Amino acid sequence: MSEGEVAEKKNSLGFWRSSINPWAVRTKDNPERLAFVFHRISGFLIIAFLLAHILETDSPVWSQLIYHVNGWTFWNHLMAIEAGLAFRVGEFIIAGAVLFHAPNGIRLLLSEFFGVGIGRPGDPKPPYVPGTFTASQRTWLYAVFVVWIALWIFAGIIIFT
Amino acid sequence: MAMDIEAARRTPPKEVVVRVRRYDPETKKTWWQEFKVEARRGMTVLDALLKIKEEQDHTLVLRYSCRQGICGSCGMVINGTPRLACQTQLAEVASEARPVITVEPLYNFPVIRDLVTNFTEFFNKHRSVKPYLIRKDKEEQENPKGQYDMFPDEYYQIYQYSSCVYCGLCYAACPVVAADPQFLGPQALMYALRFVNDVRDEAWGERLIMVDTEHGCHRCHFAASCSAVCPKAVDPAGAIQALRSKVFKYRLHLFKRRVSKVIGPPPEKGERVPLPPEATLLPGVDLKKLEQEPVVIQLPPE
Amino acid sequence: MAGRASNIQLWQYITAILLIGLLGFHLLERVPWIWGLSTIDQTLTAAFVYHGYTSYGWALLLLAYVALFHGLNGVRGMLLELRQGRLYTTTINVLFWIVFIVFAAIATLTVAKLPPY
Ligand code: SF4
Ligand code: SF4
Ligand code: FES
Repeated sequence: MSEGEVAEKKNSLGFWRSSINPWAVRTKDNPERLAFVFHRISGFLIIAFLLAHILETDSPVWSQLIYHVNGWTFWNHLMAIEAGLAFRVGEFIIAGAVLFHAPNGIRLLLSEFFGVGIGRPGDPKPPYVPGTFTASQRTWLYAVFVVWIALWIFAGIIIFT
Repeated sequence: MAMDIEAARRTPPKEVVVRVRRYDPETKKTWWQEFKVEARRGMTVLDALLKIKEEQDHTLVLRYSCRQGICGSCGMVINGTPRLACQTQLAEVASEARPVITVEPLYNFPVIRDLVTNFTEFFNKHRSVKPYLIRKDKEEQENPKGQYDMFPDEYYQIYQYSSCVYCGLCYAACPVVAADPQFLGPQALMYALRFVNDVRDEAWGERLIMVDTEHGCHRCHFAASCSAVCPKAVDPAGAIQALRSKVFKYRLHLFKRRVSKVIGPPPEKGERVPLPPEATLLPGVDLKKLEQEPVVIQLPPE
Repeated sequence: MAGRASNIQLWQYITAILLIGLLGFHLLERVPWIWGLSTIDQTLTAAFVYHGYTSYGWALLLLAYVALFHGLNGVRGMLLELRQGRLYTTTINVLFWIVFIVFAAIATLTVAKLPPY
């Protein structure tokens, strides 16, 4: 390396690109990364909804203190507003987020916490397919996508009829 | 990354355009430069880059050594995927329809010049998990008198991980490393597991505590991009999940494993190790004859 | 460092296990046919919701705590990835507990101070 200042260049993709774009690094045969991005985004949507939801479900209590009305009358009023289409679409999106996050979470729980479904270390040979990609977690992941879409359609039926 | 074994037999397009992302530390300039290379069958991306360096632009800087996927120094991002340049056939990444390939320095490593990146941080993280055998009996460790016993299944608990070539491809692909520069990264975490799994090692407690930080194994989110790009199928993603479950087991006082014992001294040089009684010879094999005549392997004619 | 990262991560997984059951039940609450109703709006009437709180309010409260912890810890993890540094990390950790306690208190109030229908 030369004397004096060495001007190296940072070369990271950074938080946002790698958290939002599953193809920030083009990897083949890697649906786990897609699941990671979905898990992250859906988790974020859910916690945002949850905070709002706690305030919403507390409305029979706070409406009494703030507006001095009957809490349940206020609740019915709120529900009438939320029956609008925009709210239903929002609910549908949150339902999608939950219905992905939960099955994928079960898969992650099994492999990350219980350490199952990730295969065993072995004797890698060409063409060098990693054991995790042929282990059962991959099957579970495909099942997660199927279950997710199926349940989401079901949720859509409930929400929009 | 799963290799395309057949790629070496295919013919790449006659002329391949190599787009290289270059960087000059003196002027701090980054630019894309295009080179046209005459391609032939069996040519790798490394071959193409070296050809460019020889014939077109001597200032192109890259790092390589073995040219056969062993040393792990030629990692670069080819067409958006971190790969070993010497193991990537042009026929794999360029096609008649799209004879253009892009080559970038590895992501998540600071660039020194052109395609050469700085691995200091990567190796520091590797060192931080103490990648060497530690025994409780320090006297025995420093002046060993015997060998450690190890059964084949125990050997397979570490064999795959030991084939890591420190190429840093996993580190370049990981979305968490991209965000969090303090994250230990797939390679170091995988290596921690390699020693936690090793029956000859006794410092698993130390290592499991070492990776149990906010920037250790819990930051990994199992995106498995590391495994997807690893050229040796070391499978760091699976290793980290195994490591993490072992951290929890250890914290809940459920972690147990055998420690190998020191068995007699290794056989003297030249001393014959007798075959175990249950060993059987293949039909037609005569041990005595084999010892006298060297085995000659006949290669099939071309 | 105060405690090991696995302490809080362990709870992340315990809450995850609890959430599977609790949230599963909470979602079934909104499936009208199970309750002999025909639309989701009928499961959101004051009468139906009030009935839910009186019969299994504890489960809903537990769900709120568990979901809050799991979700906020998830956000905390993302924020720790976003930036590093001593002061920043401490701020995030303190904020995590403040937001958790505030919203857990609101949820407790909902069940404890619920007006009769
Ligand atoms: S599995 Fe973990 S270490 Fe590997 S790429 Fe994903 S987040 Fe990074
Ligand atoms: S784990 Fe694989 S990708 Fe990572 S440094 Fe080792 S050989 Fe390279
Ligand atoms: S040159 Fe050694 S791995 Fe490519």
